[in-house]
Amino acid sequence: MAQAAKGKLNFRCPRCFMRDIDIDMFFDADKKEYYCLRCNFRGTEEEVEALNEQVKEKYGRLRERVTDFGADNRPPVFAPHRRGEQ
Amino acid sequence: MDNLFALNIIHRPELSPEYAERALGGRKDVRDESLDIFLFQQSAAHENGLKTTIQITYASLFSDKIVEIAKEHHGIYGDEIGLSLLGLPCKQFREKYKTEDFCIWMFDEETKKQIVDDCFSLFFEKFGFYPESTGSYFLDAFTINYIKKKYPSVKCAVATCWEEGPKAYHTCNNSWYTFMDGGPWNPWIPSKVNSHCPASGKEDDSGIVAIPHLSRDLMACFDGNGSNFGTHPQNVLRGMIYYKDGDSVEYPYLYNLIDEYRHLAKYNDGYCYNMMFVGPGWLNRAGRWEAPYELLAKSYRDGMKYYGKLKKEGKCVDMTMSEFADFYRERHPDYRRGECALWKDILYGSDKEYFWYADPALRCCLDFNQGGAMIDLRPYIARIPQETGIGTDSVWDASYPYLIQANYRAGYFTHYAGAGTVKSCKVHYHGQSADLCLCRTMASFRRTEGGVEITADPVTVLLDGLAIVIRSVFFFEDGTGKVLTRREIVNDLHGEEVEFEEYFTGGFGTTEYQPDMTKLTLGVGKEEFPFTYHGKKLSGKGTAHVSIPDVYTRVEMGGEADLCEVEEGIAFSPVYHLRASKKITKGAFETWLRLQREN
Repeated sequence: MAQAAKGKLNFRCPRCFMRDIDIDMFFDADKKEYYCLRCNFRGTEEEVEALNEQVKEKYGRLRERVTDFGADNRPPVFAPHRRGEQ
Repeated sequence: MDNLFALNIIHRPELSPEYAERALGGRKDVRDESLDIFLFQQSAAHENGLKTTIQITYASLFSDKIVEIAKEHHGIYGDEIGLSLLGLPCKQFREKYKTEDFCIWMFDEETKKQIVDDCFSLFFEKFGFYPESTGSYFLDAFTINYIKKKYPSVKCAVATCWEEGPKAYHTCNNSWYTFMDGGPWNPWIPSKVNSHCPASGKEDDSGIVAIPHLSRDLMACFDGNGSNFGTHPQNVLRGMIYYKDGDSVEYPYLYNLIDEYRHLAKYNDGYCYNMMFVGPGWLNRAGRWEAPYELLAKSYRDGMKYYGKLKKEGKCVDMTMSEFADFYRERHPDYRRGECALWKDILYGSDKEYFWYADPALRCCLDFNQGGAMIDLRPYIARIPQETGIGTDSVWDASYPYLIQANYRAGYFTHYAGAGTVKSCKVHYHGQSADLCLCRTMASFRRTEGGVEITADPVTVLLDGLAIVIRSVFFFEDGTGKVLTRREIVNDLHGEEVEFEEYFTGGFGTTEYQPDMTKLTLGVGKEEFPFTYHGKKLSGKGTAHVSIPDVYTRVEMGGEADLCEVEEGIAFSPVYHLRASKKITKGAFETWLRLQREN
């Protein structure tokens, strides 16, 4: 069994990312899975990508564009962001 | 005065980018790739009608090709040719200095001077003039003063990464030693004594205008990793702040962040600022942070496209760094005026609001999700004469100390015992108490004679059936280190008497861990006692105060109080408390907090 190596992209551990730690995972070619040196996560690329989508749930305004910052004592006004629009 | 959104775009060519060398595993084509990245960044700016500041690195001074390109772009596009003290690592540097270190503020003083002289003289040799701008992730006062004395043409420098300290260290698996918390988030004129502190006047003026390394999200970066939330498209990708729509990747947060910086003109006499400074390692062909090269490149082009669009609409003025320095000094003739940011959450959907304030005497943050509690406080007035680098007591920690940092040191919420660092107010009635930290609100800004006033929307405290409606007003005096707080009773209490207890729970330090506190002295009026971790209290009619020699600071709290009190913490809760209390049936309770330098 050869040593592990970085994957095709530097996939970070999604479980560690959820606790604000950026740590690259290594790829075990024999098991065809990524694993984390720090926590106990291991998973396929698909599993990593699915967890990365979960990470984004904390960003409640991820898909929204501010249209007006409004009065000082009011929250900004948002509208759904449309593809390609700045 | 018309609103003006000033923009600096900075590119640095590196022939051995510190990120890419490792990320690409020492691939042989790193050198060519780095040149390509620089050319890509330059063309992304120029295609959108934007001029740049080219910050030449030490390594790239050995490349005739880069020197030639820089001269050409200066001639065609008006780009400024500056000199960066980033990008030191290269074969020549390592052979000469026999080190793998690459952060200018971490070398010993003699080596700092040697490196500066080496870079500046080589720059002169290649270009025939000395640069007007320079920079690094952080520049300490020693280095700035040396540069300004020896190379007086320099008038602008990148001098800090805002709130890059313990959070960045933790995010990078405890391996990234860029501790530089505590500086201003927007450009400032650094003090000769400590580069974090805005200069208090001409005699304290270091002679340059400093700019931060990025324009960062003033809320997201206070709690989270700074390198996810800035005007740096690849930071936004690093934070995974994007969504997929079919085959397209979208990141409206980047534009929201730029727009929020534009909105800050409202609080700063019509002036607002942005900068984008993406190092080449973030755009390497191997991809980065789960993002393939194509996405890295798209996001950079999109960032430039948005700035270009704003420029075409007359909403943005692109400047080189030295142009910006001239503009900034013209626009800021008064050293004492506070930089302000009433910052709203644009990312999480929380409706939280912070007020950030920085002047030559203090930097401070109020959290209106906690009733206007002070959650960060830095005593700039102390002008702490910090030294960093090998041979000093602080080899890598360049952060400016806090007195309050509610995330590093708990704030309102603690686990069953002790207290965290925060300034707030408790209300007492019939044996029941409430802390305004638990009253969520928002606030309005007003510039007044000699300062700024922040007024929170009234909140209601319910104690033993009595509803007490309270409006909090905060007044920051320009450049004096004094903050006034007024707690107004807005409704009729029908003669019922309530007690207000304004309190300041503080510590000091640069990390989550409190240094030894036994040098502190606490007191009320003329009575004093040394800090011994025994929970001792003292109260009386005078001003409550604490002296903290480690950070050259004295904190005082007083006002129209019936009683002032100080209390030392215990070993399990290493903090100090200042309190001012008053019983009233109507009207308001006014207190003041004053920071002073103390040797």
